[in-house]
Amino acid sequence: MKRIFIIISVCTALLAACAPAAEKSALQAVRLPMGYIPNVQFAPFYVAAEKGYFNEEGIAIDFDYKFETDGVTLVGAGELPFAMVSGEQVPLARAQGLPVVYAMAWWHGYPVAVAALEESGIRTVEDLKGKKVGIPILAGASYIGFRALLNTAGIDPEEVNLDVIGYNQVEALVGGQVDAVVVYANNEPVQLAARGYKVNVIRVVDFVNLASNGLLTNERTLAENPELVRGMIRAILHGVEDAIADPDETYRICRGYIEGLAEDDPIQKQVLAETRAFWKSDRPGWSELAAWQNMEATLRSMGLLSGELDITRAFTNDFLPE
Amino acid sequence: MANRNNSKIHASRVRKSVVLRLIPIAAAVIVCGTVWQAVSGFTGVPAFILPGPLVVAGRLAGVLANGSLIRHSLITLGEVLAGMAAGVGSAAFLGYLLSKSRLAEQILAPYIVATQAIPVVAIAPLLFIWLGSGFASKVLICALIVFFPVLVNTVIGLRSVSSNLHELMRSLGATRWQNFRHLELPAALPVLLGGLKIGATLSVIGAVVGEFIAPDRGLGFLISVARGQYDTALVFVGVFSLVTMALALYGLVAWAENRFLAWRD
Repeated sequence: MKRIFIIISVCTALLAACAPAAEKSALQAVRLPMGYIPNVQFAPFYVAAEKGYFNEEGIAIDFDYKFETDGVTLVGAGELPFAMVSGEQVPLARAQGLPVVYAMAWWHGYPVAVAALEESGIRTVEDLKGKKVGIPILAGASYIGFRALLNTAGIDPEEVNLDVIGYNQVEALVGGQVDAVVVYANNEPVQLAARGYKVNVIRVVDFVNLASNGLLTNERTLAENPELVRGMIRAILHGVEDAIADPDETYRICRGYIEGLAEDDPIQKQVLAETRAFWKSDRPGWSELAAWQNMEATLRSMGLLSGELDITRAFTNDFLPE
Repeated sequence: MANRNNSKIHASRVRKSVVLRLIPIAAAVIVCGTVWQAVSGFTGVPAFILPGPLVVAGRLAGVLANGSLIRHSLITLGEVLAGMAAGVGSAAFLGYLLSKSRLAEQILAPYIVATQAIPVVAIAPLLFIWLGSGFASKVLICALIVFFPVLVNTVIGLRSVSSNLHELMRSLGATRWQNFRHLELPAALPVLLGGLKIGATLSVIGAVVGEFIAPDRGLGFLISVARGQYDTALVFVGVFSLVTMALALYGLVAWAENRFLAWRD
């Protein structure tokens, strides 16, 4: 009797130990490259992970923070099924033969802006003529957004004195190194305001509709695993919906994913609030053709695209929930 | 007449020796290029992952023709040379001081070693705030990277001079300058030039680190832009240009070594 009891106990223990592994193996592991470092701007993903939305779709999510271009290359090479990227990366990558497709719009508006101290008198795009403008790098979303902004006002880039300052926009502006800085509308203006500076912000989104941050996949995943794409989109959009609905809960969840995020950091809470505005849309996940056409036109005006490119193949709305 | 014949024979021997040395290098380049072309061609790897040498050569021709490669290379070379001059100069000066004064070593050495533990990429953004993002900050980053190996080698070189030789110079009534000029400098030069060889290659990395963090010009900028546009062939062109620059600087130091240390043979 004692022996039977021991055998049953051992078997029960073994089954219990195997159960989570079996459950986990039923999920498909998805490594998701996202920009650079953990941040409250990725809140919907943290919410979706925390609330089990990815698991419900059969996905075991693993956030992989890295440079955006690396994520695009990995997806283009078929090494990974998804990455979160900014819109301009898609036509640039496709122009080089990467079979990538943008499958879901996450941000509905290009987040780049120009910020200037109030006393500078810079309030409009035209005011930037002849001014020294600090920019992190002469490439990527900041530069493309800035050039798109100049295009809307018909300003020749030569009329603006651009100074590459790295990611030191707040310091460069406050230190008087430059007259204005190219920033992310949801971040640096908040940082400046928190330090007591009054700033004028000229947002790209108020002038031109450009394809912004969203979910990137590749043609093979779309063809061979459409249900995975649909599940991924459903989980993210569910996270977006919740993150918009309850900012306090969202911030609390973020603390579990962002090391060092204080319990009540007013700046990060404000960054989250500003970012939420970019997620809101009447048609969550939907990509507008005009936004992609504007992006293509901007890239061509900058000489970053030259050959033929069918922009309609760069994105799809076919995998969004009904 | 005999002298002229001798010099002709010597020149011919030198030419022959140079050709003999170039043959294995050229053969290695051809073999590597062939393997590379075969791998990229037969495996069907897309060009954005591994462009073949012909694709890279085509891209090289393009940026040579429009002048952008030369322009960016000259900018990087300027930063490298200025950074090397600043780094080597300050390291040699401080190295001399440390080798001569135990007190100076006790006071300064911990700080110097500590500075080497600071990753330059972490403080580079601060340097750009303090000095601006132009030439000066990039030269400083380059100098910081070159500084330590040259300093260490300077100290080792100067300290390796035998005490017997120092005593000999003293017995001959040599001044401090004569001691330095005729004993310490020649004795330390082999080690110093060894440090300079390391510094020459590191200086290229230093300049590019600066150009990566605040890219507006230079080969680091060219590579950043190419990566941003998924133009892997141009990334290769930029990387090969940096390698060529580092090899040229290394060769220059090796030439100086042969020139100034001929007495060792």
